[in-house]
Formats: sequence, structure tokens, C-alpha cells
Amino acid sequence: MTVFHFFNCAILTFGPHAVYYSATPLSEYDTLGTSVKAALVYLGTALVKLVCLATFLKVSENDSFDPYQELLKALIGFIDVAGLYFALTQLTHRNISQNHKFQAVGLGWAFADSVLHRLAPLWVGARGLEFTWDYVLQGIEANANLVLSISLAALGSLIWLRKNKPRTLIPIIYACAGIVATMPSITSYLRRGLGWHLPKVVGFELFTSLVMAFISCQLFAACQRPSS
Amino acid sequence: MAPRKAGERDMLESFYSVIALVFILVACVELCDAATVVDVYRLIQYDISGVPFGSRLAALNHHAGSLQFAPGADLSRTVVIIPVRELNMSFVKEYIVQRQPLGGLLFLLPQMFNFDNRDGMGIYHQNHGKELLRNVMVELEQLLIHANIPYPVYFAFEDSDIDAVLADINKNDAIGQPATATTGGFKLVVSAPEPKKLALPTITNIQGWLPGLKSDGDASQLPTIAIVASYDTFGAAPALSVGSDSNGSGIVALLEIARLFSLLYSNPKTRGRYNLLFGLTSGGPYNYNGTQKWLRSLDQRLRESIDYAICLNSIGSWDNELWIHVSKPPENAYIKQIFEGFSNVAEELGFKVGLKHKKINISNPRVAWEHEQFSRLRVTAATLSELFTAPELMERTGGFVDSRHFVNETAIIRSIKLVAESLARHVYGHQGKNIQIFSDKSSLAVNPSYIQLWLDLLSRTPRVAPFLSKNDPLVMALKKELEDHTAEVNVQHELLDGMFTFYDLTKARLNIYQVASVTFDLLLLLVLGSYLIVLFSFLVITTRGLDELFSLFRRPPSRKVKTA
Repeated sequence: MTVFHFFNCAILTFGPHAVYYSATPLSEYDTLGTSVKAALVYLGTALVKLVCLATFLKVSENDSFDPYQELLKALIGFIDVAGLYFALTQLTHRNISQNHKFQAVGLGWAFADSVLHRLAPLWVGARGLEFTWDYVLQGIEANANLVLSISLAALGSLIWLRKNKPRTLIPIIYACAGIVATMPSITSYLRRGLGWHLPKVVGFELFTSLVMAFISCQLFAACQRPSS
Repeated sequence: MAPRKAGERDMLESFYSVIALVFILVACVELCDAATVVDVYRLIQYDISGVPFGSRLAALNHHAGSLQFAPGADLSRTVVIIPVRELNMSFVKEYIVQRQPLGGLLFLLPQMFNFDNRDGMGIYHQNHGKELLRNVMVELEQLLIHANIPYPVYFAFEDSDIDAVLADINKNDAIGQPATATTGGFKLVVSAPEPKKLALPTITNIQGWLPGLKSDGDASQLPTIAIVASYDTFGAAPALSVGSDSNGSGIVALLEIARLFSLLYSNPKTRGRYNLLFGLTSGGPYNYNGTQKWLRSLDQRLRESIDYAICLNSIGSWDNELWIHVSKPPENAYIKQIFEGFSNVAEELGFKVGLKHKKINISNPRVAWEHEQFSRLRVTAATLSELFTAPELMERTGGFVDSRHFVNETAIIRSIKLVAESLARHVYGHQGKNIQIFSDKSSLAVNPSYIQLWLDLLSRTPRVAPFLSKNDPLVMALKKELEDHTAEVNVQHELLDGMFTFYDLTKARLNIYQVASVTFDLLLLLVLGSYLIVLFSFLVITTRGLDELFSLFRRPPSRKVKTA
């Protein structure tokens, strides 16, 4: 609904990324390069996923929840995790602490996700005269996705970059990482299988992202204690 | 360190300029995704000798309002949606006749008048409530046709989408919150170009000739009887003017009579000694312009050989009385003979036929009945009609009120029997004898399904003459039908009289958008701004500590301290 609304939804969708970058010490240590590289890795991952989906998935006529198709989509979703692993470990970063590395990677990852999935619908749809709440909800979803990406990056860095973890926490770390990685499948099940409407789904995403962020923060802090 | 940063900054700048370019390119894409899209039909726009009538604009882009607005409210940027069922005639008169400013009008017609609606098609309804509605609509149509309206006026049919929109608008207006740019609501948009004059409006006359039996001794021309009906309509919404009664009934009757006589004339033993001339004329609502041009184009000998002409006009919704209108005085011998023939047959069929005389005023350009065009060229003619009084200019010309539901096939069948029998008795010389040529159980019976078929087709085809092209499918269909029944068919194309000018654009699509107000946008901006500020503060506090937050505001003084 007019360019004003588009502007509002755009700052809701992309504003938090910029705010996160400038508010945290990331801007002081100039980790923009890392974020940009993480965004490019996301782009590559998305392309690989696209090819796999096109090859292996059948086009369904109705919008129902097909367990086998969803399982296949979840498996292909693990390519995401592989991409994140690549971004965290293989890219040559400058000497930044692990604390900042996962944040930068998560930020770049989430920004690329928002741009790829939400910019085009926003541009095409939010500028029209007709008003819907869809784009505001999409922006809130982008926020939840940012939190989730950063928590996933944190858990990923714990799994792959930190060698001395307390033994008891390892299964919890893997469990949390698994939950966060399969979030897309869970949301699509809620939308199609249970028939939840968009506001409910977005609310659920927001809630789980905050919970997951809190848990991963605690885990990160717990793992950091032995070394400090 | 510094050159590397500068290089990075250059890369970022070029990156941003590329993004900006992409945005500008994409800005050229304009998509139109309205929640509701409705087919609407525009009020006719025409000039008579330069005097403008009808709705002069087509494009619409205003907020929607309903009849429950606060009195004295400014409606110059509002489109008022009025369902015809709840029409308040005084409001309409006030705004149209007194030329008060209005953004636009949208009239909602009941689905009953929708010829695309298959339910109840072909069923004759006689319902008092519908009669009342019909009278209101006739009055509305007359008001709109004769007014000069400087804003767009559209007609649409009631359906669930637009009813829901109207209910919402009513609710908002009742609270006292009419839709404007700052309070949200619904916006009605019709994107249409400026209406242009129709350059060369053609009227097409179709004539069919059925020659009589000429015996070898006959040197002179056989006498001719003409049967004529005008087939075009005129109404407030040209895309909806199907004119089932005026004059769909006349066309159907003419075709059926042509069919019956073609059966008789196909066999030389039963061919009469009269030629039959069938004429489907156009330009009826415009003082029977087409009939005049057709008669002028006829060969003079042929015209002189016409014994008499019967014009058919609105014979579809009468109960037990028809009228024969003449312009020659009733004492005239020919008129007497014709009328006697008709009334005898009518008596046998069980209804009455009356005779009505109306003198022609040569100086008056108004031609009320089709037979007057014949009379002006000194040909004896009469019009058979259910109407008692002559209609005024552009009255009873088949507007949107004249729908299929108000036409009775039985009435048409009886009219056909009347005309056919009277004609046959005259042709075969059986006046006064009680013989039924077209009786119901014979092979010459009137075919009800033929009538129903043609009536249904005509009730679905709007027939305003300036909007019918030379090769319009309906004109071709009528021509082909006459070719089936008659020996020789001629099609004559003429230009409509220069007094009338018409403008195009009769149909459009209306987009209904639900818009939020500007205050909503500002509110949202405020909320988002405060959310981002809160997020920023939260992140600074959690990652760098509370002192950092305050130091952000204290930075300028600290810099001064440093330089000093």
C-alpha cells in the first residue's frame, strides 16, 4: 500500500540487521567482510538446494502436508547446515575472536536469507494500493529468522570450532542445533498440516527463536567458563 | 590499513549504486492486485446537436461512500455506492439535477436484470414487488439519460463481494468515519482513457423480399405488403440495453411471420398474389432515422406498390388488449379495411384490438411511431403495439429495465397469430370468413421454441446502434435468418443522423482496494522507529555494557577534550 508502507516494511525487515551490526562490537572490529562472505555462501547454498529440490521433489496438486515430501525437504534443508559449516570453518577470516565470528556469520546468513526470500515479494506487493498485514508479519518473521540464524551459528561454532566442551553439554548442544536446523520443516508442518494462519505461525517462530537464543546463550556461556 | 579501507569503501559505493539502479528499473513494474474486481457498465455519453448529455468522464479514482453520509459532508472526492433497491430518489435528484459536486456514482442493480445470469432465464415473473422496483428504475433511467453529469456514473450487479464491501462502508459511515486519505477505507479505481467520439456510427437496415405469384397475364407490379420492426435499443447503460420487449418481441414476431409465410410461398400452389417485404430497421430510438433512410432508398415503383405496412413495436407483455396506431383518419377506407380484418381475427382469438389515431405534424421532427415515416411518404401504414400512448424521445427504447423476465411468450404468440392470420386472409382473399390458416395442430403452427430461442438470444445481446459495427454478429445472424426464409435479402448501411453524437467506452473493470490511512502509516513508522531504538539500546547494553550507551551521547565533548 503505497511506497510509505513499503518503506515501513523494509525497515522492519532489514533494519534489525543494520542495528545489530552497529550496536554490537562487530562494527568496531570491522567484521563486514565476514558477513558479506557468509551471505555469498548462503547464496551458493540456496542454489544447490534449489537444484536438489527441483530434481528430487514432486509438484503436489493440493497444499496438504505430505510426510515423505516434507522429509525430503528436511534432508535437503541440512544442506543449509553444511553451508554454515563451510562458512564457519573454511573461510579464511582475519583474526577475530570466536565470539564475534559466529555473530558475523549468523548476521550475514540472515541478511542474505531476508533479501532472497522477502525483498522481491515486498517490492512487488507492498507498493500496491491494497493493504494487507502480510508484509508486516513477514518483517516480524525476518526478525525471528535473524535470532534463529545467530543461535544456529553459535551452536555450530560450539560444535565445530570449540574443541574442549564439557561432556554433559554435548548432547544438549546437538539437540538444540537439530531443532533449530529443522525449524523450516516445523513451520511448514504447522502451516499446512495443522492449518495455522500466518499470524499464529509468526508468533510461534518468534517465541521459539527467543527461547532458542536464550538456551544457546546459556550453552555458549557454559562452554566458555572452563577456558576462562 | 587506510588505503584498504578506502578501497573497500569504493567497492561499497559502487555496490550501492548498482542496487539503486536495479531498484529504479524494477520501479517500472506496476502491478495491480486488488482484492475485488467487478465488471461495471458506464452510463451513456452522447450529444444532441452539441448539447451534452450523460456522464462525461470515465476514469475513477476516489474513496467509496454510501448513502449514510453525514448531511452537508463534502462528497466531491467520494464515489457514492447506491443499491437501486434502497434508492432515495430525492438524493439522486438533488445531486444530479442541481449539479452538486460528487466524485462519482455507482449504482448496484439486482441480479434479476443481469442477462448473463442463467437462473430464472426464460421465466415470466409477475410480481408486485418487482413492479415497484421496475418503476423506480424506469424513473432513474429517464433522469440519468436527460441529465448532463460531469462525473463518472457506473452500473454494476449486486454480488457477494460488492455487498460485503458496501456493508463495511455502511458500518464506517454510520460510525461517522467516512473514507478519506487520512482515515482509510475503500478506494474505487477505474483506469480508463478519455472517452472519444464514435467517428462514423452506422445503422444497418436488413430487408427480405418474398415475391408473390405472378400469373402470365399480369404485366403490372404485384401489390406488396410490408412488415417492419426496428431492432436496435437505447438505454442508460448501453452495454446492458437488451430491450427484450422493445423491440425484441417485434423482431421475434417478424422472424416467425417470415418463416410461416415462407412455408406457404415455397409452394407455387399456395403462393399468394401479394409480394411480402420484411424490414428489420435500425435507428429506432432516434426518430426512426433508419426507417426513413430505408424507405428513401427503395425504388419508387416498389414504394408505390406497397398496399399497406404493419410495424411491430413492443408486443411482448400485454394481457388482453392491443392497439393499432394510425396517422390517417379512421374513416379512411383502407384503414377501416385493415382494422376490421384485425379485429375479426382478434375476436376469434379472444382479445381486443383498439384503434388509435395520431395526426402527424410535418414541422415537428419528432417521429413517435414507425408508421409515421411511411405516412410521410404517403404509404398507408399502422403500428401494432401494446402501448396506448406514444412514447417520448428515448422513452421505452429497451433500457436496462427491459429484461427477459418481463416478457410473456404467450403474448408474442398471440400477436403473431393475429398478424399472420389477418395478413393471410387479406392475401388470399378470405376476409370475413372463419378460416384458421395457422391453427395450432397444423404444419403451419406458430413454433413456441423458435420464439423462445430467438427471444433468449436477443435478451442477451445489447443492441445500441452506434456500438454495432457493420459486421456485428447479431446483424449477420438476422441477415442469415431472413435469407433462410425469404428469396432476396438486402443489407443497407447508412450513417446515423448528424444530430446525435456518441462516445465510446461502455464497459470497464472496477478495482476495489482496501486502503489504510496515512495516520496508520505514520503510527507504524513511529512504532518501528521506537522498536529499532530499543533494540539498539538493548544490544549495546548487553554486549558492551551500560557505560557504552551513555558514552555514545557523550562522544562530542570527549573529542574536544582529546584535541585540547
